[in-house]
Amino acid sequence: MLADYGLLALFIIVAILFATMLPLVALALRLAGIGAKRKPNPHKDTTYECGVQPVGKAWVQFNFRYYFYALVFVVLDVLTIFLYPWATDVKGLAEFGLAAVAVFVAIVCTAYVYAWRKGLLEWK
Amino acid sequence: MNYHLLIPEMCLAGTAIAVILLDLVIARKGILQMASIAALIAAIVVSAALWGKADPDIFNGLLRADQFAIFFKVLFSGAAILVLLTTKDYVSKIARFQGEYYALILLSVVGMMLMAASRDLITIYVSLELTSISLYALVGFLKDPKSSEAGLKYLLLGAVASAILLYGMALIFGITGETRLAEIAAAVPAGRIWDNPLLLLGVMFMIGGFGFKIATVPFQMWVPDVYEGAPTTVTAYLSVASKAAGFAVILRVFLEAFGGDILPDWAMIFAVLGAISMTVGNVIAISQTNVKRMLGYSSIAQAGYLMVGLAAATRVDGANDPVLFGPTGLVFFLGCYALANLGAFIAIIAITNKTKSDAIDDFAGMGSRAPVISLALTLCLISLTGVPPTAGFLAKLYLFNAAVHHDLVWMVIVGVINSAISAYYYLRVVKMTWFGTPASAEGVPSSLALRLALAVACAGVLALFFYPSPLLDVARDAAQSVAGAVLP
Amino acid sequence: MSLDVAFWILAALCVGTALAVIFAKDIFHAALFLIVCFFGVAGIYVTLNADFLAAVQVLVYIGAVSVLLIFGIMLTRDPSKGSPAGKLRLPAIVVALALMGVMIGSMITFDWQTTADTSKMVSTEEIAGLLFDENGYVMTFEIAGLMLLAAIVGAIVLVRKE
Repeated sequence: MLADYGLLALFIIVAILFATMLPLVALALRLAGIGAKRKPNPHKDTTYECGVQPVGKAWVQFNFRYYFYALVFVVLDVLTIFLYPWATDVKGLAEFGLAAVAVFVAIVCTAYVYAWRKGLLEWK
Repeated sequence: MNYHLLIPEMCLAGTAIAVILLDLVIARKGILQMASIAALIAAIVVSAALWGKADPDIFNGLLRADQFAIFFKVLFSGAAILVLLTTKDYVSKIARFQGEYYALILLSVVGMMLMAASRDLITIYVSLELTSISLYALVGFLKDPKSSEAGLKYLLLGAVASAILLYGMALIFGITGETRLAEIAAAVPAGRIWDNPLLLLGVMFMIGGFGFKIATVPFQMWVPDVYEGAPTTVTAYLSVASKAAGFAVILRVFLEAFGGDILPDWAMIFAVLGAISMTVGNVIAISQTNVKRMLGYSSIAQAGYLMVGLAAATRVDGANDPVLFGPTGLVFFLGCYALANLGAFIAIIAITNKTKSDAIDDFAGMGSRAPVISLALTLCLISLTGVPPTAGFLAKLYLFNAAVHHDLVWMVIVGVINSAISAYYYLRVVKMTWFGTPASAEGVPSSLALRLALAVACAGVLALFFYPSPLLDVARDAAQSVAGAVLP
Repeated sequence: MSLDVAFWILAALCVGTALAVIFAKDIFHAALFLIVCFFGVAGIYVTLNADFLAAVQVLVYIGAVSVLLIFGIMLTRDPSKGSPAGKLRLPAIVVALALMGVMIGSMITFDWQTTADTSKMVSTEEIAGLLFDENGYVMTFEIAGLMLLAAIVGAIVLVRKE
């Protein structure tokens, strides 16, 4: 059982430390800013003081083609999830389990064949 | 193992997959339509052949192909056939995705069949989602702004309803520790529902989730927009098959799982919701100018009438076969409603295809332009009102009779008043059709398939008035098979 | 004991991030908080010995659903403005709080059947036995396959032009 791996708790401790550090860092930077003198000029205010000039906004609208990939990925993900318990006990589930999984995979593969033939997986 | 009991579902699912694959290689899409209709007919024939078999359980009782399930399987398949027959007249609008259209209709039929047959909460939920996802796509099929909006609204509200339903199921599972309906029935705590707030909450959430499917108040807000925006063929399908599937699953779950001490309590909840549903649907329908919206509100009202059958599912001491009046009436009413509503929509598809408008005013003078179709429309609307000589009259009579037997006279009064209100807006369409001034003298073209579908629906509406006993017997057997175990 | 501590930490994380999802001005931040919330729920599953469920939570919800969610946000035009203030905000808060009160109230008053017997915990093999057995949920599993098929076909129909 996963819960028996008590060592994992170490990671939780790390995570908690990390979470508490973040506001501390912010606080430290803020404190440093209090005593400093401010002399703003246009050069200083750019995102990268000595680098490439940023162009446009940080927000870009995605091409909705990405959405297909995400969708196809979700289905693949769910397929995997169902294969996982089957894989833990392939022998015990015997031929019936194999047949059940085969039918399931065949049904989902129909969806993939359809998506593929419709040119969904091509980037145009 | 009784795998042969699953032949109707397997046949349709197989055909759906075949249609999806064939659509990629076949240019003549008419073949796909033929294949889909053939598969649906095969499903009806096989289902009918399985009627009344001794051992209806499949997968250790996960599904059950009893008379109740078989009645609904035939109903869903029949509705899908009528809808597919009319598709030819509608096809220009969906031409680019014909194969997908047929496949999604078939998949939704499979989902509904499994909904009617499932005796397990998880299976019910997954089947319901299969139905819903197919229908979301079908509602948005036209991809014009209205259809897309309808699809989006249906998707969002449907997802919320699914979540509510799932929450209710989770609570019921938490209380009883079971997902199989029969075992839930054994584990539901004794006593009235009001003594156990958590049980009440679970049952209410489940009513909410299923209430969305049958479009009862207060889960009806999606109906007008979705009915208006969806392709008319899909609207027809939605208003009949989807609603019937909702009632099938409600009857199954509530009678099999909650048929114990709490039966009178949920019956009362349905009685109140039904009365409100009738009134709200009918009153708002009066002011509608779009025929699809009007039929949307009318379908909310019809859900209200149907819920009389749920309200009358209580036991009455001393009566002859006490529990069955309500469910039998509900099943019979669903059969009559399916025919009349499909007939009305088929006639509307033919007419609006010509006029390119859903406005009731544009039906003016259709009586002279398309007398046969107008006559059929008139007949179906009269049946929806519940006036003889149509099936709708007997259906209402039977349901109200059930209500009287169960001391629900107040519901009968509400129902009769509502029928009078509904006559106003149904007959307004009839009046417009026959006595309005036609905009032109052109006839209304329709395909042979559409005329066939319309003829079947109208013949059914008439035949069930003059010779209702076969369907009544079927309805009684169906109700007996699902409610038999609840009998004291 | 240590499980109790873990539970309370995770519970606080879940509730906190769930509240952040609601109150975040930027919908993108809300999505990120939701992912943290999913993680917290996965952690609670682990403390309940529901390993498979935890794996599903991580793989499907954090791995896939959140990707869809973020893509959905990235596809919209200018989400940083947040959701427009609706007139229904106050009624929504009242109804949500009332519902929460009712649910908490009825759950506290219910006489739950609990057990401390960890042998009742279900392993992934047992889930497999239920899922792929003739007397179990094998049919439900196949229906789920059909559902995925319908979802893909439906999504493609709705988005593709030709």
